[in-house]
Amino acid sequence: MKYFREISVALALLALLIALAIVAPAFYQPQPLLSLATREAPTLIVACGMALVIICRQIDISVASQFAICSVCAGLLASMKLPLVIVLPASICIGAILGSINGVLIAGLGLPSIVVTLATMVTWREALRWQRQGEFVNLPDNVQWFGLSQSAGQWTVIAIAITLLLVLAVCMNRMAAGRFVYAVGSDAEAARLAGIPPQRVTFLTFAFMGALVGLAAMMNVVQSPQVDPKSGTGIELKTIAAVVVGGVAISGGRGNLWGAFAGILLLACISPALTHLHIESYWEKAIQGMIILLAVVADGIRTKRGSA
Amino acid sequence: MKNIFALLIAATIIVTGCNKSSDAGAPSSGSSKGKKVTIALMPKSKGNAYFISCKNGADKAAKELGVDLVFDGPTDPDPAKQNEIIDNWITLGVDGIAAACENKEGISTALRKAKAKGIKVITYDADALPDAREFFVNQATPQGIGFTLMDEAGRLCNDQGEFAIITASLTAANMIEWQKYIEQRRAEKYPNMKMVALRPCDDLKDKAQSEATSLMSANPNLKLIMAICSPAVPGAAEAVKQAGKVGQVKVIGLGLPSENRRYVKEGVTDSVILWKTEDLGYLTIRAAKAVVDGDLKPGATSFNAGPLGTIEIKGDNILLGKPFIFNKDNIDQFNF
Repeated sequence: MKYFREISVALALLALLIALAIVAPAFYQPQPLLSLATREAPTLIVACGMALVIICRQIDISVASQFAICSVCAGLLASMKLPLVIVLPASICIGAILGSINGVLIAGLGLPSIVVTLATMVTWREALRWQRQGEFVNLPDNVQWFGLSQSAGQWTVIAIAITLLLVLAVCMNRMAAGRFVYAVGSDAEAARLAGIPPQRVTFLTFAFMGALVGLAAMMNVVQSPQVDPKSGTGIELKTIAAVVVGGVAISGGRGNLWGAFAGILLLACISPALTHLHIESYWEKAIQGMIILLAVVADGIRTKRGSA
Repeated sequence: MKNIFALLIAATIIVTGCNKSSDAGAPSSGSSKGKKVTIALMPKSKGNAYFISCKNGADKAAKELGVDLVFDGPTDPDPAKQNEIIDNWITLGVDGIAAACENKEGISTALRKAKAKGIKVITYDADALPDAREFFVNQATPQGIGFTLMDEAGRLCNDQGEFAIITASLTAANMIEWQKYIEQRRAEKYPNMKMVALRPCDDLKDKAQSEATSLMSANPNLKLIMAICSPAVPGAAEAVKQAGKVGQVKVIGLGLPSENRRYVKEGVTDSVILWKTEDLGYLTIRAAKAVVDGDLKPGATSFNAGPLGTIEIKGDNILLGKPFIFNKDNIDQFNF
């Protein structure tokens, strides 16, 4: 079955939601759910980019550091009283520049993406620690929720993330650029022979990833009156996990954004679900790990069957 | 290149040395009572508002005691730079050094060297290895922190109702220690309060906000959130505010006044608990002077710190005492 993985993640999510409805109906209150969705919207945006990177048979573990740098830069620009119409594109540009650096090293020099992004992850993070020393950036009053009311701001953040998901999902399926990413990810040499420049595709994928991180960082900045310079810590693990759980093959070339979306929803619900079920938080990381392990094992079994 | 570097360092030492002797009247190495005492105070990093506030207290003590205060440290927390500065101070021949150590092992060698030269060494805020200094000015004991947090929670809730704790991680040793004292105090003095949940936030403000949101919806009778790592205090406050539960769910925690000022003023966060940094700096200089003068010797169990009163000494730890509670009425007086 072609969409086996996407469907099984959706079923797992459904099972969790039904269990919550029976055992802890308090989970279904509009305000906390809206808040949860808003909090996870930036993660969804990063996950979209991560899906592209992994489909392209690469990986980017530097996204959390990029996220933190974009957040702090956006915060500093906003505290200089610059309007959001300037701060938002600036944050996206900074992200795109950071992503391009990864892209140049990986596509241009042919270095392995895990090593390059490991290096940039540490470099950006330490540079930021040195610069900020952990100090928060205080934002002017009109930044939170874009200067709108809280609920309007929350819906705006969610709408931006969902729109992005829809547009990208369609692009990946229907547009040449999207098919190029799949082609390069499944077989770069074949793609080259077919006239697709693998290096350019890889470079653009990383640059685009960075731009998405810049957007995501901004969507996080507007949710609070202060920017934590550690913003986004752990987002690389969360998004890679969501993407893999959602059926994107870590070996590239296969998977789609809907799976990544389902993966994010599933992982996002686990932590609040445990709180609602009054399960000790000691279990949280273990359960997340189990889910990822299951997904990887399923992947392994399928690959083995396919090759046998 | 290396030579130029060495020259530069030598030049710096000479210049700073000259400056010092010109305005301090040549602090000789063999200083004794009656002569003006020079004490060097080292922060983890110079620009940090926390340590600037410590220095304000130190300045006050120095003025009262007629001590020459030298304040220097790295621009950023940097153990190597700390050692370099201590080496300079040894050359300068200060009488006492009080250091907040970025790295326990790293700085201890330099401090031992100072001790060997007859300079009296104490530490404050963050300790070195015990043999590298005479005393450590300890700003807060785990018991003091745990009891104060629980007392605040009990006071705000009238010993009634549910509360939840947000911690940094379930494995952090200091937090586990604090939780132990929080629970001990609860059992002793606030038996009608019930801790319903303990959630980790990985020391991240954003995660703390998410955790606080689900804590409130999962525990509709929640009266108070106690955040025991600093980013969690504003995170929890933002969650309470966004949930529209200001007043219904109270927020207290261990954190910096600057990060919580807006929430304290808006009435979201009731109390932020920390020590008074000015008092820490003040006590440090008082103690350093007493050690230099020979009035404070190992084995002492108490110490008279002037306006701060009689200070308890446990082993070689000089205890600043109970933590300080920042609230609506006093938070504007503190800028760190």
